[in-house]
Amino acid sequence: MIRALRVARALGTDPAKNLALEALLMERLPRETCVLYLWQNAHTVVVGRNQNAWRECRVDLLRADGGRLVRRPSGGGAVYHDLGNLNFTFLLHDGDYDVARQQRTILRAVRSLGVDARVSGRNDLEADGRKFSGNAFYRHGGRACHHGTLLLDVDMERMGRYLNVDPEKLAGKGVASVRARVVNLRALEPSITPQAMARALTEALGEEYGPEPQPLDMHALDGPRLRELEARFASWDWTYGRPIAFSQRVSRRFAWGGVELCLRVDAGRVADCACYSDAMDAGLSGRVERALRGCRFERAALCEALCALEAEDAGQAQDLRALVGALEC
Amino acid sequence: MNIPAELRYTRSHEWVRQLEGNVVEIGLTDHAQDALGDLVFVNLPQVDDSVAAGDTLADVESVKAVSDVYSPVSGRVVEVNEELLDAPQRINEAPYEAWMARIELSAEPEGLLDAQEYAKALEEEA
Repeated sequence: MIRALRVARALGTDPAKNLALEALLMERLPRETCVLYLWQNAHTVVVGRNQNAWRECRVDLLRADGGRLVRRPSGGGAVYHDLGNLNFTFLLHDGDYDVARQQRTILRAVRSLGVDARVSGRNDLEADGRKFSGNAFYRHGGRACHHGTLLLDVDMERMGRYLNVDPEKLAGKGVASVRARVVNLRALEPSITPQAMARALTEALGEEYGPEPQPLDMHALDGPRLRELEARFASWDWTYGRPIAFSQRVSRRFAWGGVELCLRVDAGRVADCACYSDAMDAGLSGRVERALRGCRFERAALCEALCALEAEDAGQAQDLRALVGALEC
Repeated sequence: MNIPAELRYTRSHEWVRQLEGNVVEIGLTDHAQDALGDLVFVNLPQVDDSVAAGDTLADVESVKAVSDVYSPVSGRVVEVNEELLDAPQRINEAPYEAWMARIELSAEPEGLLDAQEYAKALEEEA
């Protein structure tokens, strides 16, 4: 039974901080209360709890463009966020959790702004036959989190650029994303802004559950626990180091011979590696493997590790660095 | 709902099977797999992890949500079922064969339900 409604607005657009606030709101959720948390991330790809970051996202391209990659605690697929996207989170205790009711609240808000919307499958909301909201869920310690995106005016060109990875390049474990045709709500109703949507959601929340929604003081959440959670969501271990194994191979022909490099990556590091060459160099594979094993799966780290081979053959080491440059990492 | 008589259970829908010596096997019940829906990913603990009863032991991702699996007992993880990493759907297909972890007990388990009590708990929950 819900007796109190609280609306929480994030103060900034940093994705790790925003995920930390969500987790802390969930930890401190009072009984018989529903918290609606509204937040926006600047220029960020968010992957699901059990996804292979490299299979879902052009990590190198995103980083080069100044974007962030974070991992959320819920399941499902990768999404792109910018300030044209508004995220919502419903936090409730298990007994009050009802996905259909929470989605009804969102649909009520969207319809109040003049767009006809409906639920599609379990995880999507759609308008005009296209998806404008992807939803994901997790449950922990007797509490439940249902969150999702609302595409209002997202840069679709960028979304496509970061989320399109060549499926041939990577083989491995992890939950794969499902692609869907998407639409910005603003394309259907030009008056929709993040502010207007936030107001409509707050009103719809009160209409759906009864009590008057009260704002939640975000400054009161500040403290060591928030910083601890933020550090976790910003950490390399959480984002890249999860035990989701995959392999990747690249090949190239150089003046001294053709080379194929195969890497098996687990928990974000090179677990095994083999290097095949048609050049008459029996020791090459062993040398490359010794240099790369245990190395973080990041281009800069891999290139630096290959410097160890320079003493042997500087030209070859440079070519191998070019080969590593062709990896999707 | 299938509730084998020889196992013990928790209210959070884990089952416990006594193996030889001081070791038990942990898995998710038929009710749990049915409520979760099709599983797509399983995170298992590491061998040698120490767990206390009620701690998060593992988590599973289904088409509906990521959910915790709680340890029904206290002890040390001595083996995990790595087969599930490649085939999480085994939990849906055969929940009482698809064990997740084997735990060497550090204390006598407390508060576990027998099949009859678990069946009653399910009725109360419904």
